[in-house]
Amino acid sequence: MEKLPTSVGAAAERPNRRWCRFAGSMVSVAVTLGLLTSFAVAHGIGGRDADFVAATKGPDLLPFMYLGAKHMVTGYDHLLFIFGVIFFLYRLGDVLIYVTLFSIGHSITLLAGVLLKIDVNAYLVDAIIGLSVAYKAFDNLGGFKSVFGVQPNNKVAVAGFGLIHGFGLATKLQSLRLNGNGLVANMIGFNIGVEIGQLIALAVFLIIMVQWRRSASFERYAIGANALILMAGFMLIEYQLAGYFGAWRA
Amino acid sequence: MATEGQISQPLAARTMLAITGGALIAATLIMFGAVLPAEFHWDPLGLGHMSGLDRLWAPSEVAFDTSKSEVAVAREYRAGLRSDVIEIPLRAGGDSTRGDELEYKVKMKKEATLVYEWSVAGIAKEEEFYFDFHGHTLAAGKAMTVATYKQATGTGANGALTAPFDGVHGWFFQNQSVEPVVVRVKISGFYELIPPGDIGNEAGIVANVPADKAFGEQ
Repeated sequence: MEKLPTSVGAAAERPNRRWCRFAGSMVSVAVTLGLLTSFAVAHGIGGRDADFVAATKGPDLLPFMYLGAKHMVTGYDHLLFIFGVIFFLYRLGDVLIYVTLFSIGHSITLLAGVLLKIDVNAYLVDAIIGLSVAYKAFDNLGGFKSVFGVQPNNKVAVAGFGLIHGFGLATKLQSLRLNGNGLVANMIGFNIGVEIGQLIALAVFLIIMVQWRRSASFERYAIGANALILMAGFMLIEYQLAGYFGAWRA
Repeated sequence: MATEGQISQPLAARTMLAITGGALIAATLIMFGAVLPAEFHWDPLGLGHMSGLDRLWAPSEVAFDTSKSEVAVAREYRAGLRSDVIEIPLRAGGDSTRGDELEYKVKMKKEATLVYEWSVAGIAKEEEFYFDFHGHTLAAGKAMTVATYKQATGTGANGALTAPFDGVHGWFFQNQSVEPVVVRVKISGFYELIPPGDIGNEAGIVANVPADKAFGEQ
């Protein structure tokens, strides 16, 4: 039987660091569990929010900003991807670069998708979003280098997956009978809200990660956490594919 | 040399493959064992049935307007007339295994008619017995059309039903009294009994036997 490490690193740890390590693991677990429990909602915009959007004629910036932020903060697929992206980014400058790339990517397709009424299948887009989650977790552990011997450019990957996430946002917004009157303003409001929501989530992630990384056992737990994110990504893919192939009609 | 945004020491290819394989297997197990049966009513491996998670799934329901009907006053049926007596034992109200309530329905074609008489003996207060007389369609996976004929408390009723659509039609009975009771349902008409365990007779009630054998020979 393995003895629990009592002195290595742990002695130097303040209780709040231990808490943060715990919190970090919990983020992975919570997002994964959230994935399970909120599948029924399929991460769309529903209920009274949808009614509100359908009833809105003309520009109504603030409510749409709120909806965008809410969509992001409650969007486990987007959150998992961002969490994966910043997991091993130690410098704030890098975090800003990657998050900006992601934002540019998803803003382009969000705006273009809605304006040009690009009709993409929501299940397929969401399946690729799931793939982006799995991709980043795999990449985080150095999988591309060790298994395939090549390291794809991460900035390109994050920006590219940003484009896909934007299509996901566009399909959700389009599925709500958006009124042509005030469309551009409302859509931009939604986009701004998405960025605000992303910053809120990012702030929480960074606070946890910065503390968690200080603990000696960080990398060991980090492997497990990324394995969990990888699993969650696979689940997202499978779930969306099941939806695409009409599993409910079976 | 670590790439930015990655673990400092990339994992070995074998470890990486093991983690990926493990993650995929775990994800697939959760998918087939829980999510697909519960969310999509799709259970190819039967895992959802084993775990009981498939019970979480429920089709969306569409209420059927029972207030009006245009059925010919005289009708003919291919099937012959049948009559059955069903005795349904229910445990005392509040039974922890939910043996105090069950549903018994029969299968009917659209515009088929049956007449019924049901009663429950041994209940002092009428309001301690609840019933929901209703029917619904069987189309798997699609939205389910539900017609509610009567929801009330009472210890019996006599009447007739002409089915508004193909499906299963019958009663949900719930004993709220402190004593176990037996519901006696007499029906005649143009319908089919539902084999024990099938939709409409999930409780597994056997018709035309005394109440003590209603759940089959035990």
